[in-house]
Amino acid sequence: MGYTFNVQVLGENMKKLFLLIGFSSMIWADNPHEHMDHSHQGHQHNELVDGTNLEVDFERYNKFIKDLTGSQIAVINVQGMVCDFCARGIEKTFEKDINVKKIDVDLSKGKVLIAFNNAHTINFDDIKEKILINGQNATDMEVINL
Amino acid sequence: MGMLIVSILSILSFELHARPISYSGGSTIMAFSDNMKNSLYYHYSPSYKYSVGIEDIKDKYFRDKYSYLRFTYLLNRKNTQTSQRNLYFQSGVSSKGYDEFFYGMHGDWETRRLFVGFGIKETKKNMQDYTEQFYQVGVAPYLGNYGDLHTWIMLKTKENSLDNKWSTYPVLKFFKGNSLVEFGYNNKTEWDIHLMYRF
Repeated sequence: MGYTFNVQVLGENMKKLFLLIGFSSMIWADNPHEHMDHSHQGHQHNELVDGTNLEVDFERYNKFIKDLTGSQIAVINVQGMVCDFCARGIEKTFEKDINVKKIDVDLSKGKVLIAFNNAHTINFDDIKEKILINGQNATDMEVINL
Repeated sequence: MGMLIVSILSILSFELHARPISYSGGSTIMAFSDNMKNSLYYHYSPSYKYSVGIEDIKDKYFRDKYSYLRFTYLLNRKNTQTSQRNLYFQSGVSSKGYDEFFYGMHGDWETRRLFVGFGIKETKKNMQDYTEQFYQVGVAPYLGNYGDLHTWIMLKTKENSLDNKWSTYPVLKFFKGNSLVEFGYNNKTEWDIHLMYRF
């Protein structure tokens, strides 16, 4: 087909690609141990196990919980949620859960607020997995009973 | 040979990293136009690690029409509380034959306020091979809440080996909900227009 494979040109560009890949692997590689990985399964509380309080935009929170009496609110800290476009998948994923009554995203604080039915047992590992498949990392969760 | 190279690169990229790229089951449709091409691109993410898609192209430079079967893979992602950084491998095989294909990388780093991105792409064509590259920086003039209209003011510089000229120009990007529109203008290369919808 008249095609000539130019090894030299391809080789030069491949070098650039591999240098970038290698550089990114060394410098940018995610370290899974750097994320706080608390398991909150099986208990509910208004304060984290390690005693730290999650930062919440209370005006936004109070607006969110209006008319949600009798619900559980999971306030989840999410890393990598830097834009509206990035967070769309999180909302879509949790909207499919029949136990979820309402969801909100607070970009300024990096928080996802999810209102669950009171009868539902909130599993942080399950939430982490659902956020991970959207490409972000859930690091902490606080559950508040209304 | 072309297919073999793309396959090797694809396999290699899988071995290097295995991080999420998007939510499973998500689809995106994009329309793009610049001085080189008009294209319509649909892709689907079977998992958060990669996407596959079809890009239909009207090639302005070579006055040709063809499609690419495309594969994009997230080589690396770093999430922090205030930023996200991504590095992608991209490839495509042409409907013209396995010996016409492209491969490349693009990456970005962004906070809610700042954006930096780059891309490099090598295209193999029977008529002439060429390389394209771009670099982009941006700032958000205000920080919108979830659901608001978001705006980015950017500066983009790009070059391809066909004319060996750099072109630098401003770009405006707007997005709201699942929709995004981006356009830039340069008196040498005229308009860059990029429309995107995620569903």
